[in-house]
Amino acid sequence: MTADEQLARARAGDSDALAGLVREHQRSIYSIALRMLGNREGAEDLTQEVFMQLSAKIGSIASGEHLRFWLRQVTANRAIDELRRSTRFPMVPLDEEASFCHAAEDTDPLLQRQLDRLLAQLSAPARAVLLLRYQEDLDPVDIARTLDMPINTVKSHLKRSLEMLRSRCEVPAP
Amino acid sequence: MRIHRTVCCLALLLPSLAFAAPNPRLVLPQFKDLADKATQSVSITMDPALLGLAARFMDAANAQDAAVMDIIKGLQGIYVRSYTFDRDGVYQSSDVDEIRKQLAAPGWSRVVETRSKKTHADVDIYLMTQGKQVLGLALIASEPREITIVNIVGAIDLDKLHKLEGQFGVPKLTEP
Amino acid sequence: MSEGLEARLRAALRPVSPSEEFSVRLQERLTAAARPRRRAVALWFGAALAASLVLAVGIAHRASKAQERVAGLAARQQVLDALRVTNQKVDLAYLTVTSESRDEP
Repeated sequence: MTADEQLARARAGDSDALAGLVREHQRSIYSIALRMLGNREGAEDLTQEVFMQLSAKIGSIASGEHLRFWLRQVTANRAIDELRRSTRFPMVPLDEEASFCHAAEDTDPLLQRQLDRLLAQLSAPARAVLLLRYQEDLDPVDIARTLDMPINTVKSHLKRSLEMLRSRCEVPAP
Repeated sequence: MRIHRTVCCLALLLPSLAFAAPNPRLVLPQFKDLADKATQSVSITMDPALLGLAARFMDAANAQDAAVMDIIKGLQGIYVRSYTFDRDGVYQSSDVDEIRKQLAAPGWSRVVETRSKKTHADVDIYLMTQGKQVLGLALIASEPREITIVNIVGAIDLDKLHKLEGQFGVPKLTEP
Repeated sequence: MSEGLEARLRAALRPVSPSEEFSVRLQERLTAAARPRRRAVALWFGAALAASLVLAVGIAHRASKAQERVAGLAARQQVLDALRVTNQKVDLAYLTVTSESRDEP
């Protein structure tokens, strides 16, 4: 069954098809939520909200591509809104689980640490841009559409984030 | 000179200058200019409803949460504005003139005024009291690359707050 | 150099899975919230309407509870942030005084 076929069945009320779509996308959505909000509880709540909303709005999703766009857009924007409601620029998280990166297991520990600090220090929109680029592999034009942000702002966030990360990860010459 | 950690006790020695009912809630400007220039901003506005909501989602069985609940139970508001910049001299002292004017009004007394030659950090702490009761606290911390304003409405116990230090996920502050 | 860093960044930011328990819980909630797939037969109109209203109220209640939890946890975080900032700045004043009094002859 193709993604579009599965979507068509879900729109027709096939709960198994909807469950399949959720299984297919939950890793990506959960990861965006987790790296935006910095804690598992918040990420789980946000992920659940997004898929509950999808369930209600599935009739208006036109295609597999539209679905991916919609999921990322709703997740990123809700996370940004939640972060804005709490602090404008989230500081280092206070909970015991003080990690935003939740990097893959084989990640270089130095990069993981620096990425963690970088994510914590970025504004919510800049964080979303970084995740959509390097986790979701969107190009800047698609990121701009997803976040309703000018393309130059997207590029500026990416450039600044990479510069910050590069300067932190550089090991000084002996 | 020692600072007394229990600022509440210090407040008892201060004359009460209230005429009309004093209002410990400061009117904070938008600070849009500062926010636009800042590399990092914190903007927290907690009214009684939000404080109540926060308390409902704290775990009384958790030591940190229990301590925080104890601190906020007497509060009616917490307001924080903090802006960090990537170089010195981005903000002016005049940016907080509006706040200082309000703190010059009757009811507020400056209980702490520190000026550091080493770090160039200035911290002013004000209390509003009525008789023996602390009605509110205001703090302005001006550092070379950071300006922070805190306004707490209600009786905040700084001793209890100090005891939470080290539990906030940030190492204890050490001397510069 | 930049490409090397970007590749490492992509590798570090590969999606991570939620817990199995969460996945199961999510599926259960979605199933519960799904519209009825088949019309009920031989239901009196009044009973059917009442059942729908109860279900709608139940779903709305669950959704609003979830929203309230998100808001409550965010509010808790704000309080912790605010107290931490306050503590830091009070400490800054305290350390200024104690270090400068130590420097006094």
